[in-house]
Amino acid sequence: MDMSKYRELFLSETREHINSLNQLAVTLEQEPDNRETIDALFREAHSIKGMAATMGFNATAQLSHHLEDLLDGFRTSGDIPSTTIDYLLEGIDLLDGLLDDLQDDRPERSTEDYLTKQQGCAANGEENNPQQPPVVIASEENPEPEKEPDTFQVLVELDKDTPAAAARGILILRELEKFGNLRTSQPDIDELRMGGSCGQVRAWLSSFQQKGQIEAALLKINGVENVRFIEDRRKTDRRERQTVGRTIRVSTDLLDQFVNLTGELMTHRNMLNTAGRSRDWDEVNKAIDRAGRLIDELHHNVLQVRLMPLQSITGRLPRIVRDLSRSSGKQVALLLSGTDIGIDRVILEGITDPLMHLVRNAVDHGVEEEGTVSISAGREKDLILIEVADDGKGMDPQMLRQKAVDQGLVSQSQAYSMSDRDALMLVCKPGFSTAEEVTETSGRGVGMDVVKAAVQNLGGSLEIVSAAGAGTRIKIRLPLSIAIIKVLLVSCAGRTLAIPITRVQRTLDLPTKEVFAAGQQRMFRLEEEELCLYSLAEALDQQQVATGDITWTVLIELHGRRLGLQVDGFLGQRDAFIKPIGFPLNLLTGLTGATVEGDGHVTFVVDPQALLERHQIDVNQ
Amino acid sequence: MAIRVMVVDDALFMRNILKDIFVRHGYEVVAEAENGETALQLYQESKPDLVTMDIVMPKKSGIEALQEIMAADPEAHVVMVSALGQDTLVLEAVEAGARDFIVKPFKEDKVLETVRRVVGQD
Repeated sequence: MDMSKYRELFLSETREHINSLNQLAVTLEQEPDNRETIDALFREAHSIKGMAATMGFNATAQLSHHLEDLLDGFRTSGDIPSTTIDYLLEGIDLLDGLLDDLQDDRPERSTEDYLTKQQGCAANGEENNPQQPPVVIASEENPEPEKEPDTFQVLVELDKDTPAAAARGILILRELEKFGNLRTSQPDIDELRMGGSCGQVRAWLSSFQQKGQIEAALLKINGVENVRFIEDRRKTDRRERQTVGRTIRVSTDLLDQFVNLTGELMTHRNMLNTAGRSRDWDEVNKAIDRAGRLIDELHHNVLQVRLMPLQSITGRLPRIVRDLSRSSGKQVALLLSGTDIGIDRVILEGITDPLMHLVRNAVDHGVEEEGTVSISAGREKDLILIEVADDGKGMDPQMLRQKAVDQGLVSQSQAYSMSDRDALMLVCKPGFSTAEEVTETSGRGVGMDVVKAAVQNLGGSLEIVSAAGAGTRIKIRLPLSIAIIKVLLVSCAGRTLAIPITRVQRTLDLPTKEVFAAGQQRMFRLEEEELCLYSLAEALDQQQVATGDITWTVLIELHGRRLGLQVDGFLGQRDAFIKPIGFPLNLLTGLTGATVEGDGHVTFVVDPQALLERHQIDVNQ
Repeated sequence: MAIRVMVVDDALFMRNILKDIFVRHGYEVVAEAENGETALQLYQESKPDLVTMDIVMPKKSGIEALQEIMAADPEAHVVMVSALGQDTLVLEAVEAGARDFIVKPFKEDKVLETVRRVVGQD
């Protein structure tokens, strides 16, 4: 019997069961004698066994059967020892791994070592070696057909005074290339070729070689002071990488509504035709109104389909926080609320990594020895507010100001005039984290700067509320739908352009006589701060038309600083359905989409921050 | 068998320092050149395991000589010798194929470390 058509369903359902297994296991750890939890675990394992057996995935079926047996034993006697729970969690991870194999069309990995491991772990609670080494993936007899190289991050620190550091950097990269695939580095080869200083080289390498060998070879290079390896968490924390699935579940009620609405629309089409033929304009207008309302409702329902509960990604957090607490030696409790809120699945996908990072940060840096990390979600007008909070040591704006000055990210005077709110946002400046913080948090590419960028890319905004000793709250605001956003319509260089409201702090009608010059730079005063003024037309390589008595300005934030962007006039604000721009226009920086007006006109949506960056406006100058 | 080295530098003083270091540590100095013009020819005649090449020399520069040697023998092990403040030239040399570089005034142990590493390659 051809089971391949059930494959997708098997994969997504099994993933869900594994998620449940993880959550239940973590709950069980807190209440090891809870029969209901043990029962539930048993049922989940049982379901996976059934499906896997039907599909002919033998290793998966066998492993689930093993777990099922294990749990069955405890259903009557209850009270599972913690070593057994650890063993169970290992088994769940192995199931996860097997599912990855099946998903990527690889043969199922061997479960031999896991299955033979704790033979003596019976219902009467006998314990074997508590700290077994992690599951071995492949045994000698069945070599893994495609063994994957390890990817790790190498940090090579150079002697402070070593001459020709950039040339040293190039030699270091060359040496690394001998060991495998050098995926990228910071600084990268092009930056090094331009010369300049180089205190360290951070590289991402995929290699089959031993770290010891790589380290030894690097240390032989003159000028290299220290070599450190940072495990690429993205490979080890597979759990976190599970993206929102390729198939979705839609409630049958919703589907029924679709059928009803489209039915009504079809009826309406007939009514419109009739009214049109009879030239009874009243009737026509009424019919158009009604059709409009039906279309709105249909649209609303379509968007509902795209919604998935936040729970889809927060479901795996209990397990992750449990593992993080264990490894950091802290006692961290996780509180989730409002996670049944529906979020557009594209946004959900985009917010997964940032959310994981914030949770890890909260555990690693926020919570001291004991504490709580809480994630809450809710609606705030037409936005979704997700808050990641911890009750730990918090952040001191003064210390952040000092650190930023020390690292050369802001000048003393900028730091002095910065509000506490802006000071807290300094952690989102690229390059702010010290090397040790980066090693602790995660592998490549995730830092607060990346989190903020990811949130903004989704059309949202990030806010940090914190004080020394008072914990930290990271507030993320996201639009309900990535497709419909509120935009500000402005006229600029003879055209109408749209700017997403989330990118705009506010609009200003600045009297032109209050604009002054500081050298070449136009500036203005706002709330006792002096801000720079740029022209949107010029950012678009257009001519800025002569300014009248009023300089219409949009206040935006770039790299943690506020500045003004002059436009030729404000035309209003509305909800716009944004369509992506196709190739080759999508290669242009600064255009994020377009919306079609009622009259068929196309209005482009611009990203003011990207436009200014393109012109290399350095706000710190 | 001893490792065979060639020393290229327009200053006799520098050549002597390097030759001393090499000889004292069991290397064999098979050739020395005082400018880039004779460097290539001597390289091909004596086929050393390693060349030390001064970056700045009259007539033909160290980088040009490096390029010629690399063109003739892509596997050549050339270590550039530079003074302080010549970062850009060192960068050029590394890009042109130099395996490593040492900066004057050099410490004996740094010279040896570098030479051992380069010779130990492939």
